[in-house]
Amino acid sequence: MAVAALAFTPVVITVVQALQGGASAAGHVLTNHSTPGLLLRTAAAALLATPLCAIFGVGSAWLIERTRLPGRRIWTVLLVAPLVVPVFVTGYAYANLSGTLQGFWGAVAILAFSYYPVVFLLVSASMRVLDPALEETARSLGLGGWATFRRVVLPQIRPALYGGLLLVLLSGLVEYDAFVAFHYQTFTIDIYSQYRLSFSASGAAALSGLSILLCLAILVCEALLRGGANYTKIGSGSRRPATRVRLGRSTLPALVGMVALVGIALGVPVGMLVYWWSNASAAGHAAARAELHYLGPAALTSVLMGLASAVLATILALPLAVLAVRHNGPVVTALERSVYVAFALPDLVAAIALAYGATRLVPSLYGTVFLMVLAEALLFLPFALVALRTTLGLIEPALEESARALGLGPLRTLWRVTIPLARPGLGAAAVLVFAFTLGDLSTAQVLLPPGMDSLGVHFDADARTVSFAAAVPYGAVMVAIAMAATFVLVTQFGRVRGLEAR
Amino acid sequence: MAELRCAGLVKSYGSRAVLQSVDLEVPEGTLTAILGASGSGKTTLLRAIAGFVELDEGRIEIGETVVADSGVRLPPERRGVGYVTQEGALYPHLKVADNVAFGLSRAERKAGRRTAEVLELVGLDSGFGNRPVHELSGGEQRRVALARALAPRPRLMLLDEPFSALDASLRTDTRRAVLDALAAENVTTVLVTHDQAEALSMGQHVGVLRDGRLIQHDEPSALYTAPADLALARFVGDAVVIPGVVSAGRVSCSLGDLPLAHSAADGPVHVLIRPEQIALVEGSTATVTGSTYFGAETLVQLLLSDADEQAVTARIFSHEAPKLGDPVALDVTAPVVVFPA
Repeated sequence: MAVAALAFTPVVITVVQALQGGASAAGHVLTNHSTPGLLLRTAAAALLATPLCAIFGVGSAWLIERTRLPGRRIWTVLLVAPLVVPVFVTGYAYANLSGTLQGFWGAVAILAFSYYPVVFLLVSASMRVLDPALEETARSLGLGGWATFRRVVLPQIRPALYGGLLLVLLSGLVEYDAFVAFHYQTFTIDIYSQYRLSFSASGAAALSGLSILLCLAILVCEALLRGGANYTKIGSGSRRPATRVRLGRSTLPALVGMVALVGIALGVPVGMLVYWWSNASAAGHAAARAELHYLGPAALTSVLMGLASAVLATILALPLAVLAVRHNGPVVTALERSVYVAFALPDLVAAIALAYGATRLVPSLYGTVFLMVLAEALLFLPFALVALRTTLGLIEPALEESARALGLGPLRTLWRVTIPLARPGLGAAAVLVFAFTLGDLSTAQVLLPPGMDSLGVHFDADARTVSFAAAVPYGAVMVAIAMAATFVLVTQFGRVRGLEAR
Repeated sequence: MAELRCAGLVKSYGSRAVLQSVDLEVPEGTLTAILGASGSGKTTLLRAIAGFVELDEGRIEIGETVVADSGVRLPPERRGVGYVTQEGALYPHLKVADNVAFGLSRAERKAGRRTAEVLELVGLDSGFGNRPVHELSGGEQRRVALARALAPRPRLMLLDEPFSALDASLRTDTRRAVLDALAAENVTTVLVTHDQAEALSMGQHVGVLRDGRLIQHDEPSALYTAPADLALARFVGDAVVIPGVVSAGRVSCSLGDLPLAHSAADGPVHVLIRPEQIALVEGSTATVTGSTYFGAETLVQLLLSDADEQAVTARIFSHEAPKLGDPVALDVTAPVVVFPA
């Protein structure tokens, strides 16, 4: 309850801000002739990117979990990596690659290729624990591979798929970082300029109010889609690995598809970093070297911030995730969803709201590292929640009940049974938040204490004002850390300790 | 003295009544088997006793303690019960010994004596302690689960179909080991099962649950020879049911004029005869129409050659079984039970 309230704080502050500006200011912004157009452009990009994410995510999950595609382990790492490569690095790479990628299609592409791993992670975790007997029965009843997938697998993975698409859609609607390198005017960018131009937060807040409404509408739709269908396993099911499809002649096209997906999503940003560095002039290299001595402190700041917000977000997400998994009911669902509503607040607006709230209520907090860490933790809480839920959902309630019958209270059961079993999920949640914090730009721009520098902020500043070459080392360090994070994610997401050995 | 007393337990899920005023007493140190088909409410009953299901009405006492009553609901961890589920629910992240020691105090966990003691009690040597649980066979998993539940010395043990997922050969041994361990610790036990043979062979008392009601609670032999109604008679074993008429303390039916196991009012009745009560003798009042071979014994299907052409089944030793089409005569060997028609 307290966590949800905390997560909701920025939303409340935003609404207050919007109201404080007076009805006229808010009304002025909302009736501004560009507002409906902006809303439409933003929604269109996000709505187009979402089904693409579904196709990329589900398709690659099926190839990895259900076929004999060669090199599955390596592909898994490469498939997940684009999620944790900072999205603005990818943004600069796309924008720099081609002029056509700077507008609407660029926006769609970057959203699709940066966020499909969310779907991949959730869906493949869900496929991994599907009772293979369900599919085997379908095959013996005469269904082909595709029909089995459509009529048996797809309905079973639907909750994971919807959960992933919800995150993708909401991220897309409020994305800011991805578009800093673009000439694509989105809602969030408009909110940001509102804030920058007038320094009156109320106009920005009024616009954010719109995005919150949009998010509420999406949440309602998702709830309706998910409906009351029950997908829980009946009985204990069989715990054996699923039969994998022999791809045969389709191996080559499948591999080509994988190469294309990974190439665009991961190859382009990494390739552009290499290109910027190798194609820089001598002066560019000199400028880059001059910038280099900021790298150490910036990296240290980013890593420490990332660690702190990862720990905080995981701790905050744990009670919510336990509640969500173990207690079904409207109140619990509402609590869980409140986190998503807060998520629909553009990063920047949330950061501004927290900064505003801090200056008004707890001035001593403003400009501190703690406020920054809190903002990042709240911002990425939904990802931590999803990672934890996926793992907790695999832990049989009987394991916790046995502990209760053996004389342990609820808290000690959590400590001695749930947390040890969910350790991979806790790790995955922390790593996700860590990577996102590391790759965050806008929150850091608003809330980073004066005199401090993060990798992201420095990359952006260099790319903007010095040269791409100067930005390369910062980008390279971020990508390297992201790859390390990916490795943890791939081995830990959606797993339970001790279960994989069975 | 009863160690477990349940009175008037009521539980509904929405409009579905799962427990409808169940009363149950289990004497100290005994094992009561609760027998019921799936959906009869037996697992709900067990989970209510354990504290995982909140009752709508009713009172549960364990020993001297009221654990559930209106306004009272002791959490599971303070009820002092052992609870073993169908799959065993062993912790996959812990070794066997750590699983067994799970409910013990820190000091007892360190000492390890109790762990070794209960492992031995369930028939596993202490070498098992270091094994990861996923290396155990099904039977070993059940034994470890029981050892874990026994370790903190519970007042009451609750077993939820602990043998149903085991294959037949393993089941007998595991049952024996479980019964021995429970007897050695003298722990009062409630076992829930859908398996008649298991209930009758393991329980000192057997309670039959149907549609959320405890329709009979008795010793196994009484349940088998004097079931409360016809449906229950069929549920606890093979049954031959034929029409008859009671008069003057005997019942006349197509198998003859038979003595009654207990008195009944005069009038038309259903006569319950167990297949093993029917002996085949020389004669030609019936014809063999089929047989099912079970090794030591055979179930023989017969057709009486009277006007009704009544079909009956006899259970006889296989080496005495007649051939298909043979004419035989039937002899009912013990008093029979009747139910009002």
